Amino acid sequence: MGRYAIRRLLQLIPVLLGTTFLINFMVWQLPGDPFAARCGQRACPDSYISAMREQFALDQPILVQYWHFLKNLLSGDLGVNFNQVSVATQLADAWPITIRLALMAVAFEAIVGIAAGVLSGLKRGGFLDNVITISTLLMLSLPVFVTGFILQWLLGVQLQWINPTVSPEAPLSELVIPAFVLASLNLAFTARLTRTSIVENRRSDYVRTAIAKGMTNKRVVAVHLLRNSLIPALTFLGTEVGSLMSGAIVTEGIFNIHGIGGLLFSAINNQDFTIVVPVTSLLVLIYLVTNLLVDLLYGVLDPRIRYE
Amino acid sequence: MSEANEKTRSLWHDTWDILKRRKIFWISLVLLVLFLVMAAFPTLFTHKDPEFAELARSMEPPSKDAWFGFDLQGRDVYARTIYGARTSIIVGTLATLGTVLLGGVAGVIAAYRGRWIDSLLSRVGEMFLGVPYVLGAIIILGTVAPVQSNPTKTMIMGVVIIVLAVLGWPVLMRIARSAVIQAKHQDYVQAARALGAGPFRIIFKHLLPNSLAPILVYSTITIGSYIGAEATLSLLGIGLRSPVISWGIAIADHTRYIRTGAHAMLFPAAFLSLCVLTFVMLGEAVRDALDPKLR
Amino acid sequence: MIEVLPESAGSGTGSGALLEVENLHVEFHTRTGVAKAVNGVTYSVDAGETLAVLGESGSGKSVTAQTIMGILDIPPGKIAGGAIRFRGVDLLKLPEDERRKIRGEGIAMIFQDALSALNPVFPVGWQIAEMFRIHRGMSRADAKKKAIELMDRVRIPAAKDRVNDFPHQFSGGMRQRIMIAMSIALDPEVLIADEPTTALDVTVQAQIMELLAELQRDSNMGLILITHDLGVVADVADKIAVMYGGRIVENAPVHELYRNPTHPYTKGLLESIPRVDLKGQELYAIKGMPPNLLQMPTGCAFHPRCPYKQEKCVSEVPPLHTISGTRSSACHFWREVLDGDAQ
Repeated sequence: MGRYAIRRLLQLIPVLLGTTFLINFMVWQLPGDPFAARCGQRACPDSYISAMREQFALDQPILVQYWHFLKNLLSGDLGVNFNQVSVATQLADAWPITIRLALMAVAFEAIVGIAAGVLSGLKRGGFLDNVITISTLLMLSLPVFVTGFILQWLLGVQLQWINPTVSPEAPLSELVIPAFVLASLNLAFTARLTRTSIVENRRSDYVRTAIAKGMTNKRVVAVHLLRNSLIPALTFLGTEVGSLMSGAIVTEGIFNIHGIGGLLFSAINNQDFTIVVPVTSLLVLIYLVTNLLVDLLYGVLDPRIRYE
Repeated sequence: MSEANEKTRSLWHDTWDILKRRKIFWISLVLLVLFLVMAAFPTLFTHKDPEFAELARSMEPPSKDAWFGFDLQGRDVYARTIYGARTSIIVGTLATLGTVLLGGVAGVIAAYRGRWIDSLLSRVGEMFLGVPYVLGAIIILGTVAPVQSNPTKTMIMGVVIIVLAVLGWPVLMRIARSAVIQAKHQDYVQAARALGAGPFRIIFKHLLPNSLAPILVYSTITIGSYIGAEATLSLLGIGLRSPVISWGIAIADHTRYIRTGAHAMLFPAAFLSLCVLTFVMLGEAVRDALDPKLR
Repeated sequence: MIEVLPESAGSGTGSGALLEVENLHVEFHTRTGVAKAVNGVTYSVDAGETLAVLGESGSGKSVTAQTIMGILDIPPGKIAGGAIRFRGVDLLKLPEDERRKIRGEGIAMIFQDALSALNPVFPVGWQIAEMFRIHRGMSRADAKKKAIELMDRVRIPAAKDRVNDFPHQFSGGMRQRIMIAMSIALDPEVLIADEPTTALDVTVQAQIMELLAELQRDSNMGLILITHDLGVVADVADKIAVMYGGRIVENAPVHELYRNPTHPYTKGLLESIPRVDLKGQELYAIKGMPPNLLQMPTGCAFHPRCPYKQEKCVSEVPPLHTISGTRSSACHFWREVLDGDAQ
């Protein structure tokens, strides 16, 4: 397993290099003038343009540019935007909030999603199963921002149970509804995946054996059935940590949360692209690493998986 | 007739037998037809001009002669919502078509050629999957779109369609790849190969019919999610924009008025959600019918 | 030896054997109709006795066993009548909780495919130890020790080192030994073995059958051996019940059955076994297909394939005729079969 992990880690490197190169190329190279429409409504100040040109070596050949980008990224020197605000500082302020939001969303997905899937799979065809199947179908169909606006309008504006927007400190209590919105899509997927595997495994030979061994119904379900049925749901949750970030941009935009997503949301509105490249690079890294961890976790959960 | 064709035929036959008994299939089919008619002949549903603006009636709530009220510019929300169906369906369908072509071709090549081409395509696919699609769209649309200063409706929609397809193909490549790899090891394909059938003949006569079912199911669901994605991008201000009429734009234009005039946003959002639901429901109904394990 | 009850001796006291199945009916309700998988089956097994239940797939032999065990999928399955008495108590009338206690303790079962019957994500030792932990409330450590003892007893080499291995790490024969170890953990009085050797190589088959016979001798269990293979049962079984289309068609002590079958189906099965002394001759095969449970033939289910067929066979279901104290046959023309006069 150790050797497998190392080989997978090595395989990450070309993908990571390729992606960051592509992103860098598209942001700075593809547009004829990288500073056209990049500083909000105004034209970019000359001082800013020359500073950027120097830091990102925009006049150099493309590989030299990319080398500079890597060097900057690894040393944590991410430059400033056109308002002279340090990109690194912005990121450092925003990360904790997004991580809090994302972890809460993952907790929702895992707990609510798996519980709903197990209940509906065990009572297949029953009332609860129908309710859960229909609500997950709705959750899958509603784009995240629709769910967000509806809850904001319903709970925030109509019922006034929550503040429609989150305060800058973003305490956990205010993040509950945004985290639920962010989780909704994956939660529905998790519930369905769990339901399917419960339904399939329920008829499996080893469950029949457990019954024949005289195990209580509770133990058959909680130990023998559940352990096997959770594997697909847990791996799904792991691989989808990256996709949470797409949702985070929208969710944080709606609820005015000052996290990474909110930062990007306002960066797009202000046409400020300095932040896009480092954030995207970090997100790609997170995605690839979580995928690798999920692969390794899979081997722990399912002893049949052999690493070759 | 080849064995592959016979197998596919009976598969479709069984699937239809199951489908015609499912309520959810018929509901989604009726909704689908409704949305398609709405997209093709909007005048059947409304005689009002979606572009006609009367600023004096800005944000007027729903009433008897304007069922959904008026928007910020004083335009009829009902008319604009009806006309929005066309945009959503065109963008969703064409983007899916592009995804299927790009991903399908890549998947068939990867599976059929194998070796380094397979691993290269798989790695490139991973690169695209690693970037969250909203972020990928931000990068592409942020760099390409501003270049054109005065775009036509077709160009605005075209850019969004291309971006969705470019970001979405790796998933389809995976589906097509595994379907082809599975079929490749079937005896009748091995036999056809041994008999000297060329790669094109094998791909079109044997492999494609087998990959069709999963690709069709995925495509139907994808049309739905692309309609949602288009709206999301429009909401962020990087997707469609005026003069195109779309549910996403209508929602984006009125997010700030959620406290005072939610109607201008809620009606397009409801249509959008129902339309996405239609495609997802239809795709799932077909998938469940195709999957013998769930029968 | 206990007499095998003929079908006509329906309700009432029973014979007092350790485990009795009496006039059992099991149906499967499907979209296309009702399949009568088990149609009035009666058999019994006593302590120290081995009953072989012989039949092809779809004959109802496994469904009967699953019903005894209480692991039938309901629905689509449905128990339409009959009784299963274990030590005189009808299991079908017991509440689920008491029934559960009998599983593993009183009656245990081993399955055909040990790879899928063992839970893939738990170590084999853990799965054996679970019996002691749940039924006997033993500690983890004690239960594990017991599991190692059992693995030794079924002759798994280096049991101590392999107790934490997972099912997929064993060979087919070793996996079946683990399955056996698990089933005999609590010294059950009856062991049901459902095609225990079908998935295995011929040499391994013999070893497993020997192991089963030995364990049975040691602990005086009643053994119900379900198989489609006449060759497997000859050395181990005391008596045989042959099933066809959900019914028992012949009951006999094993050696009498081999010498003088009284049902044409049994006779066909015996003649289709390759024999050294008949080398060079064409091997006999029963013609036709096993019956479709949804569209059973009228009269005797075997008539479309039977060389002794007469008009009576198409119109009348043959009862189980008692031939002697321990023998019975569900054939109108059992005398002709016994004399060997095919029409």
